[in-house]
Amino acid sequence: MSPQEFLSTAILLGVFVACAGCYGLLYTLARLRLSHVLMSMAYGAYLLQGVATVILLTQTSLAVVWKLLLVASFLIYAGIPPVTWRHLERTHQPVGHQS
Amino acid sequence: MYKSQQLALKYFAASLFVFGLLVVAGLLAAIYYVKFGFLLGVLDFSVAKMLHINALIISLLMGFLGAIYWFLPDELGQETVGIALAHLLFYVLCLAVGIVVVVYIFVQYGGSDQFAMWFINQGRKYVEAPRWASIGIFVVLCTLAYNIAATALRARKITGVIGVLIAAMVPLTLVYLFAFPAITNMSVDLYWWWWLVHMWVEATWEIIIGCILALSLMKLLDTPRRIVEIWLYLEVGLVLGTGILGLGHHYFWIGTPAYWLSIGGVFSALEPLPLLGMVVHAIYDAGKHQMKTTNKPAFYWLLAEAFGNFIGAGVWGFMMTLPQINLFSHGTQWTVSHGHFAFYGAYVTGILAVVYIAVQNWRQIGEVTGNAWKWAFAFLNLGMIGMVGGLLISGMAQSFYERALGGSTLEAFMAGQSNPWFMQGMYARLGFGIMFAVGFVILVYDLGRMVRKGRALPPRNVAA
Repeated sequence: MSPQEFLSTAILLGVFVACAGCYGLLYTLARLRLSHVLMSMAYGAYLLQGVATVILLTQTSLAVVWKLLLVASFLIYAGIPPVTWRHLERTHQPVGHQS
Repeated sequence: MYKSQQLALKYFAASLFVFGLLVVAGLLAAIYYVKFGFLLGVLDFSVAKMLHINALIISLLMGFLGAIYWFLPDELGQETVGIALAHLLFYVLCLAVGIVVVVYIFVQYGGSDQFAMWFINQGRKYVEAPRWASIGIFVVLCTLAYNIAATALRARKITGVIGVLIAAMVPLTLVYLFAFPAITNMSVDLYWWWWLVHMWVEATWEIIIGCILALSLMKLLDTPRRIVEIWLYLEVGLVLGTGILGLGHHYFWIGTPAYWLSIGGVFSALEPLPLLGMVVHAIYDAGKHQMKTTNKPAFYWLLAEAFGNFIGAGVWGFMMTLPQINLFSHGTQWTVSHGHFAFYGAYVTGILAVVYIAVQNWRQIGEVTGNAWKWAFAFLNLGMIGMVGGLLISGMAQSFYERALGGSTLEAFMAGQSNPWFMQGMYARLGFGIMFAVGFVILVYDLGRMVRKGRALPPRNVAA
C-alpha cells in the first residue's frame, strides 16, 4: 500500500462508519417524527456508505478478507436501525400489550 | 441519605479533583510539543504524561466507585454492607494517591531494582503506581466487590443490574492482577499487560458503565426496569462479543503470532456495530421523552455518552484498526486522538451524568436550571472535539511522513515531529485543551452552585 493510498484508505474507513452513524441517527429521527424527508436523508446516508464501500473495494489494496468484512458490515449496518427500532417499540409497550 | 451515598459524594469530589490534575498535566504535556525544552530536567514530558494517564485511570475508577456507592442502597433498599470499611479505604486511597503524585513529581524515577518497583513506580503505562499503592487499589476493588455482593445477600435481592454488576466485579479485580508481574521478556509482558488495559477499558468497564447508565435511566427518566434490563443484557452481550477478542488489535506488532492480525482485525471491525444500536436507542429515548426532564445536564451528558462512544470508539477506531492501516498509525498521535475521544465519549460523559443526578438528589433540587451547565457542556465537548481533531491531523502527518514515507527511521521520526502539519495539529490541540480546561472550571463552578443552592438530604439511620 502506497503512502498516499494508506491515508485515503484510512479516511474512507472513517467515512464508512460515520455514514452508518448518520444513517442510524436520521432513520431514528425519521421514525420519531414520521418524516419522509428525514427517511430519504437516512437512505441517502446509507447510499453514501455504499459508495464508500464500492471505492474501498475497487480503489484500495486492502486484503480480500478485509474487503469481504466491509461488505458484510455494510449489509449488517442496513439492518441495525430498523431492527433496533422494532425491539425498542416492542420493549417499550406496556406489559400485556406485547404481541 | 444513606452513608453509602455520603461516600459516593466524596468519591465524586475526589474524582473531579483528580480529573483537574489530569487536565493540568495534559496541558503541560501539550506545551512540550510546541515549546521544545519546556521544563526539561525539571518535570520532563514523561512525568507529565505519566501523571496525565494515571490520573485518568484513578479519576474514572473513583467515578465508577462513586456511582456504584450512590445507586447501590437505593437499588437494594438498604444501607451498603461494610460501608465503614469502604469509608476508611476511601481516605487511605486518597492519601495513597497523594503520596504517589508527590513521588511522581519530585522523585520521578528510580533504578532497575525492587525498591523502585515497590516505592517509586512499576514502569508499566497506565498502571505505573508503585507496588504498595497497586496493592491498595486491589484492596479497594475487592472491598467494592464485597460491598455489592454482601449487600445483595443481606437484602436477599438481586436485580438484573446488580447481578451483572456483581459478575463484572470478578474480571475487574482479577485482571488488575496483571499490573503486578515483572516479566523481562517484553513481548510476554505486553501480552499480559494488554489483558489488563484492554479487558478493563473495552470489556469490564463497558459493563460497569452499562449498569451505571441503566440505573441512571431509571432514576432520570423513570424508564421501567424491565426495559432497562433487557437492553442491558443485549448491549453488554454485544459489546463483550466483539470487545473481548478485539483485544487482538493490540497484538499486531508486539511479537505475537500472525493469527492475531486476523482475529484482531475482524473483531475490532465489528466493534462499532453494537455502538450504532446504542445511538439509535439514545435518540429513541430522547425523542419519546421530548427532552423533558428535571435534570437536563444529566440527560445531555447521557446523550453525549452514546454519540461520543460511537464516534470516539467506533469511527476513530475503525479508521485505524485494520492491520494494513495500523501498521503505519499505531503509537502515533492518531492513536492518542482515538484514545482521548473514546475514553471521554464512553466514560467521562457517563460519570458526569451520574454526578449531576447525585447532586440533584442530594441537594433536593426540583429542577436543575441555569446556564452554566450549558457553557460547561459546550466548552468541554467542543474542546474535546478540537483536541482530537488537532491530534488526528498531527497523527496523520506523523503516520504519513514518518512511517509510510520515511520508513520509521530516527531521521524520519525527527522530520515527522517538525513537519508543519504535525506542529499545527499540536498548536490546535493546545488551544482546544485550554478551552477544555475552561469548560472543566465552569463545570466545577456549576456543581458548586448546585450544592450551595439546594438543601441536603437528611441522613438515614439505617443499620449497615
